[in-house]
Amino acid sequence: MKKFKWKTVTPYLFILPWIIGFLVFTLGPLIFSLCISFFDWPVVGERTFVGLGNYIEMFTSDKQVLKSLTISIKYAAIFVPLNICIALFLAMLISQPLKGIKVYRTIFYIPAVVSGVATSVIWSWVLNSDYGILNYLLSLIGIEGPNWLVDPAWAILAVVIVSAFGVGTMMLVFYTNIKGISAELYEAAALDGAGPVRQFFSITLPIITPTLLFNLITSIISSFQQVTLVMLLTGGGPMKSTYFYGLMTYNNAFRHHKLGYASANAWVMFIIILCLTALVFKSSSMWVFYENEVNSGTKKKKRRKK
Amino acid sequence: MKKRMKRLAAVGLVAAMTGSMLLGCGGGKDSGDDKTSDGKVKIRFATWDDASVLDDQQACVDKFNESQDKIEVVLEGWGSDFDTKMTASMGAGDAPDVMYMWDYPTYSESLEPLDEYINKEGEEYKNNFFEALWPYNSIDDKIYGVPVSVVTSCMYYNKDLFDQAGVAYPTDDWTWADVAKASEEIQSKLDSVNGFTLPIGTLPYTLEMYLWSNGTAFVDENGKLDGNINSDKSVEVFKTFQDMEKDGVLYASEESGQTEMLGGKTAMYVDGTWPIKQFEEEGLNYGIVQIPKFEGTEHSISVINTSGIAISKDSKHKEEAWEFLKYWTGEEMNKHRIETELPALKSVVESEALREDPNCAPFYTALDNCAGYTPSSFIAEGWTEVDADIQLAFESIINPSSLADPKEALDEVVASHE
Amino acid sequence: MKMSKKTKVVLYVILTLIAVYFLFPFVYMFFSTFKSETEAVAYPPSFLPDIWNWQNYVDAWNAQPFGTFLKNSVLVTVGSAVGSMVSAALVAYGFARFQFRGKNILFMLLLSTMMIPWDVTMIPQYMEFNAFGWLNTLKPLIVPSWFGSAYYIFLMRQFLMGVPKDFEEAARIDGANAFQIFYKIYVPIMKPSLILVGVLNMLAAWNDYLGPLIFLQERSKYTLALGLASFKGVYSQEIVPMLCITVIMIVPPILIFLFAQRYIIEGTGGAIK
Repeated sequence: MKKFKWKTVTPYLFILPWIIGFLVFTLGPLIFSLCISFFDWPVVGERTFVGLGNYIEMFTSDKQVLKSLTISIKYAAIFVPLNICIALFLAMLISQPLKGIKVYRTIFYIPAVVSGVATSVIWSWVLNSDYGILNYLLSLIGIEGPNWLVDPAWAILAVVIVSAFGVGTMMLVFYTNIKGISAELYEAAALDGAGPVRQFFSITLPIITPTLLFNLITSIISSFQQVTLVMLLTGGGPMKSTYFYGLMTYNNAFRHHKLGYASANAWVMFIIILCLTALVFKSSSMWVFYENEVNSGTKKKKRRKK
Repeated sequence: MKKRMKRLAAVGLVAAMTGSMLLGCGGGKDSGDDKTSDGKVKIRFATWDDASVLDDQQACVDKFNESQDKIEVVLEGWGSDFDTKMTASMGAGDAPDVMYMWDYPTYSESLEPLDEYINKEGEEYKNNFFEALWPYNSIDDKIYGVPVSVVTSCMYYNKDLFDQAGVAYPTDDWTWADVAKASEEIQSKLDSVNGFTLPIGTLPYTLEMYLWSNGTAFVDENGKLDGNINSDKSVEVFKTFQDMEKDGVLYASEESGQTEMLGGKTAMYVDGTWPIKQFEEEGLNYGIVQIPKFEGTEHSISVINTSGIAISKDSKHKEEAWEFLKYWTGEEMNKHRIETELPALKSVVESEALREDPNCAPFYTALDNCAGYTPSSFIAEGWTEVDADIQLAFESIINPSSLADPKEALDEVVASHE
Repeated sequence: MKMSKKTKVVLYVILTLIAVYFLFPFVYMFFSTFKSETEAVAYPPSFLPDIWNWQNYVDAWNAQPFGTFLKNSVLVTVGSAVGSMVSAALVAYGFARFQFRGKNILFMLLLSTMMIPWDVTMIPQYMEFNAFGWLNTLKPLIVPSWFGSAYYIFLMRQFLMGVPKDFEEAARIDGANAFQIFYKIYVPIMKPSLILVGVLNMLAAWNDYLGPLIFLQERSKYTLALGLASFKGVYSQEIVPMLCITVIMIVPPILIFLFAQRYIIEGTGGAIK
């Protein structure tokens, strides 16, 4: 009897730290922000209950919401696949048994190490259309560079270019996973006559699908929450062409001091990200292969042979 | 079973120990305390300056603390994210006792009205501050802050570039047409130099001074936009800049103008008093004159960038806070800050003969000229959103890739807010 | 695996091209740290400084009490990274290796905590830490890590899901309990990913700016990232000292990374067979 009881409790004991943390540090602020999204809540002064007013305003009178949402979706649509591909490509590169690869590995990681404030300062220099070193270098080879941060058509691309420099973290996650793959698997495949490309698709890729899922979900979340970079690099400009949804939320809270409205913004974004994540998770049973499915009932036929 | 329990207990114990160790570390006193360990009243004081002056500010605070046996002021340098931090602490009801302040329209409800304190000090005390500064520290005729320094705007020019191009230096009487002419001449003689630079990111708060200079404003005294921001005179202002840009004599920059000036990339630009220290340190050969005026006006009018300090309404020690506020805005401190900030006290300007100093005099002339003007943000309700739209309109007018029609862009601002 | 010479050359060329692309802005920044403010913003931009002014670094370091900031940063970085490693390992193991009631809902809840932007939870969090008396201490930056952060738990869980269950079956037959299995079998297997969590968390804590900005007040409590940002005021900024401190701040994470690399690779032996 007692033994049985322990067994039921054990999993909860493992996740207990997080449950405590959630209850103490996260739940309160979450509920608070949900509550104030139903209020007109300035930083100082009178607070009034407006029911769904904030949510209604978002989709009727505030034209910026849809515009910013579109910009964020556009950014996510470029950023997520691009960065995952780059990260995976780099991770493969730095896993190769080459001399001096350690140096390259470190170099690829450097951009991810530099803090956001400094990154934006350097890049606003580099990208400055008139005085920047990038357009200066381009002019040396006879190309007239675009007005990166002034021309609305180019600004979002500039943000993508700069954010691609933060790919180091994702690369490292892939790399750790790839490094964990046993060499025997490759040797066996090589004996079967599989070339590097086939090895990648039949061994590496399936094994790293769990981290691929991780990178996919976290990069979707971070692309929708992108604030710091655009705030420091473009300030949402030129002409609001990089006025991301996250920045709009931030400005509603800290510039317009409408905390209630900003919370409503945030919760709408939360629902959107949640739906996207749920969708990705649902689909993941089709393309993510866990070495061990805990639900023994749904064991995949696709489990690899060893 | 026993073994299992033991193991569990061990894990639990380790977790508890590490947890409590961490809680213990970091240490220090709780910030909620309003008394220091030696029983003095603790006053929190927040500033927005960068690191270059923080040490000096700390020294000034220390000096005050030494002179007091009941008050201890603790300096908090919030730097460039002053506003974010202010929103957080105000929103959470934990504002510092004394703080630098510019955004009175937003925060006045959380600030202590200071009229009584000022009146207690007497007429003379109040009159020693330049009159033009008070409206910038008041809301609805109630004073919420005491001016720390004077920041008006003037036009900076690079003497070396003017000399190289053989163009006469600007004067206080220059109109925008003169700027355009000089700019053209300089650009024709010197490569990769822009005559006049205007930041694309110029804030509406600053832009309004050009409207004032041309006899209009964003709103009238009732806060009405229509017929003001889109008036002929206002459109003329924006059109002047846009035409200059189209003629290639005004460079719309993504930077602030200060770096361009420092790097010798622009011959003229308009700014407040902030860059002087850096220009001096870097040995730039520059001059300062009044902002160019519009044809047919007497002189230009500058906006004042409010730099005041205020007391939180929730402060438990307002008397002590006022004591410190008086010290911080007093003659001694005004004199002490002369290197970096222009004094707000008439007596100091006089005793230090600042009206004869070429680095200071133009800003005081601008101050004399701008009495009686109040920024729209102090007049209209819910200004921040109008402000964001004006900024967008200005950007679309001045951004070289759009160059929108000024009248249409300004009409749109009116349409979306009235 | 043997590579042909041609493949090697091609790989090196690709690696070098990417390295140049990645390094270029930072080399440019590095050289700029030796310039004067005027030279740093001059046009046409000079790549190498006229004079190598090493004094810039000394000045930048002495401009603020960076020694104190460094101490605080190290405390926060180590404190939160160790906490994250412990909590992420425990919680991820719980989610990856057990079937229990409410698991899916709890896991979704865990993931969803990553999706709420900080700007709206910041003020209530500020109030909470204020009530705890934690403001102006390093606790808000360290303690929550000990209770697990969704990002690292999720990451660990993904790694654990990739480990075949056969490992523990043998141990279970030997009569080991869940904690023994976790401790003796999984912790060694998880070493590479644990190190990864440590590295990522250290970096995040090292560079974290908003947390310290909001929760710290006095300069004696500042971290390096906050000190770095103080070179920017509302009305002015100093670029060169900012870049100097940035360069200094890059060094420790790089060293840690170089050191940690070895463990990430070493783990290979014990992992998936």
